Amino acid sequence: MNQPVAPNPIPLDASYRKTPKWRKHIWGYLFLLPAAVIFIMFLWVPIVKGMFYSFYDIDFVKGNTFVGFDNYRTVFDDGDVWIAVKNTLYYMFLCIVIGFWVPILFAIAISELRRFQGFVRVAAYLPNVVPAVVLYGLWRWFYDPVGPINGFLTQTGAESISFLTDRAWSMISLVLMETWQQFGSAMLIYLAAVLSIPKDWYEAAEIDGAGIFRRIWHITLPSIRGLILLLFLLQLIGTSQGFQSQLALLDGGPNKATLTYALLIVKYATAKLDYGVASALGVLMFLVLGGLAVLQYRLNNKGGAGV
Amino acid sequence: MLKKNVVTMLCLVLVFSVLAACSGGNSGGNEPSNQPSASSNSGSNTPSEEPKEEDIKDKKVTISIYYPLPDQVENRKLEDEKIARFLKEYPNVEIVKSDWHYNPAEIGIKMAANEAPTVFNTWATEAKFLIERGWAADITDIWNNYEHKDQINPVLQNQFIIDGKVYGVAQKGYVVTTVLNKKMLDEKGVAVPGYDWTWDDMLNTAKAVADPSKGISGIAPMGKGNEAGWNWTNFLFQAGGEIQTVEGGKVTAAFNSAAGFKALEFYNKLRWEADAIPQDWALGWGDAVGAFAQGRTAMVIAGADGVLEQALNQGGMKPEDVLTYPMPKADANGKHTGVLGGDYLVINPNATKDEQEIAFRYITFDYFSDKGLESLEADIQARQTEGKYYIPAQLNYYSNDSEYGQKAKAVFDKYDNVYKYAPESDALLDGKPEAQYNTQDYYGEMTNVLQEVFSKKGADLQGLLDSAAKLVQEKFYDAIVVE
Repeated sequence: MNQPVAPNPIPLDASYRKTPKWRKHIWGYLFLLPAAVIFIMFLWVPIVKGMFYSFYDIDFVKGNTFVGFDNYRTVFDDGDVWIAVKNTLYYMFLCIVIGFWVPILFAIAISELRRFQGFVRVAAYLPNVVPAVVLYGLWRWFYDPVGPINGFLTQTGAESISFLTDRAWSMISLVLMETWQQFGSAMLIYLAAVLSIPKDWYEAAEIDGAGIFRRIWHITLPSIRGLILLLFLLQLIGTSQGFQSQLALLDGGPNKATLTYALLIVKYATAKLDYGVASALGVLMFLVLGGLAVLQYRLNNKGGAGV
Repeated sequence: MLKKNVVTMLCLVLVFSVLAACSGGNSGGNEPSNQPSASSNSGSNTPSEEPKEEDIKDKKVTISIYYPLPDQVENRKLEDEKIARFLKEYPNVEIVKSDWHYNPAEIGIKMAANEAPTVFNTWATEAKFLIERGWAADITDIWNNYEHKDQINPVLQNQFIIDGKVYGVAQKGYVVTTVLNKKMLDEKGVAVPGYDWTWDDMLNTAKAVADPSKGISGIAPMGKGNEAGWNWTNFLFQAGGEIQTVEGGKVTAAFNSAAGFKALEFYNKLRWEADAIPQDWALGWGDAVGAFAQGRTAMVIAGADGVLEQALNQGGMKPEDVLTYPMPKADANGKHTGVLGGDYLVINPNATKDEQEIAFRYITFDYFSDKGLESLEADIQARQTEGKYYIPAQLNYYSNDSEYGQKAKAVFDKYDNVYKYAPESDALLDGKPEAQYNTQDYYGEMTNVLQEVFSKKGADLQGLLDSAAKLVQEKFYDAIVVE
């Protein structure tokens, strides 16, 4: 029974080499541990659980039932999904057309200011700190039939606009509101990049007779091109998940005109309590956004963000 | 080497994630994940310890109860007094206050996490939903031993008695009404209609008082969220229509009937002919009631007490300026039908039998008691000193004609800060319970139809109703098997 144990065949020098490496890094791993635990608990576990749930009929009380691809079938059979996809693409498009260039413009304009630069920077960032509840109340008033915008329009002889209830305007109105609130943070990032461009490049261009627009076109914009691309991708990822203002102001209406994909997920989960289908929708979105994230990562590595 | 480490870390993260995901509360089987919460009490649940019968008052039981929100100062005071009186009689009970208020979007999570209080509030619409999912305890045995069970207002209580089993206790109720701002009508020189009014009276009054250029509307039918469909359903009922029919074990959509068309046509007229609704019509309950309290709309459709609370106690309106009407009848021969709604308290099915018993005793502690009336009177007096009004419910757990109802009325009559409903208005109320199956899904679909009608002039009304009925039928009703 008690066979003598064979000595470890690993040469002494090899084990000697291995142990100190772990020891050397152990403190680093321990410092990483809290972050890793939080990361796993609140990011990876929900992602993996979401994938599992997408194959189950979820009932938190009576227990879950495996349903195979039924949830995915429901997703592809639901007409609202295609409406939501179309609305989300439209929303992303509007956010680019209406909102994407605003922080770039403001950053360049502020960088050109000789006086009051600090004040303007704070003023432009201020809408960012407005709480969501106040924001929605404020813009509901701006968009009111007798609010300031319509008041101005009617005074100038134009027809008043039903900003929120006219299907043609509802999504545009939400994008305008969000642009107003959110351009400040992107502007600060652009501004930091613009201000880091060496001043002597501009001076040299000025000596060569370049005006302000040529300086912007030939120096500023190429210098921040990498950053523009990065923020463009981040905006695509961010806006593809948009649902907050659509939910708060219009609940996806009028007649589904602002029903975005993420809002549909929220509705499946919270109104219909169908977490299985909501998870399936989430997984499909995860796949698309994962692709975008990989693209962003590669571009980021390639261009080094250009700053 | 670094790459290798990163890969190893990633693998570890993935493995842990998968393990964590798999080891979660539900493993995908059919085992119930929520064991009944361990009672913090006597341990009398174990059958082996049952030979001698204990008085429940001697047992140590902890219950968590529905407690008013922090801004409901008066209601909190009332509840605190009730808790103190209850604990005097049940010294071994511990009461934990829970200010979680029922929300259909949160109840699933609360039940899954076993965090729902022992007693929680809900509404008439939720009965079927809660019972089907097993989220409301069957309290039939406790109910049958309750001495006042036959005095509870049956119109309300029946909503929570399904197939002879009792799942909740009625608190108060309402029939949907139209609340009207008389002051706005007077200022515009518009005649105040009689209580026995019709759709035409409503339309003409709304049209006359509306002033779109100043942002004032005659009536604000809700146009956002499921409440839009709920508001319209009153008109469907007045026109003699039904949401669904249940025959031969099948549920069939019925709201696309001639009555449905008539009701939708009335909404179309309010929007496009009378121009009497807000231009910004995407209003939920809070938005519409808020617009009423701000004097931006002359009429709003809802249960009266919620609107009155906001108009009188938050909007600073005077009771004589706010009139509560029954819903108008479709024509001279019609009825003033409104959706019947109510507030209920239900008991968590995860609670132990002792907890359920104590919870029931707590719910009904003040029911039919003089102490309850004394506490109510003290609340009215406190409101009087603060210049606030007390808004009684239109329907109570007791019948207004009963002896206890008369006693309560005597208390209300003593104070001028108690809102008085017009008896001729109350006499016309005709409450109709909501449909049994997938009511919220139907409301949601009807909301889309109404938004289309409000946003598109000349919309195909019958076509919209038909496609909504088809959708509701295929998506929800076809899956129901009625036993």
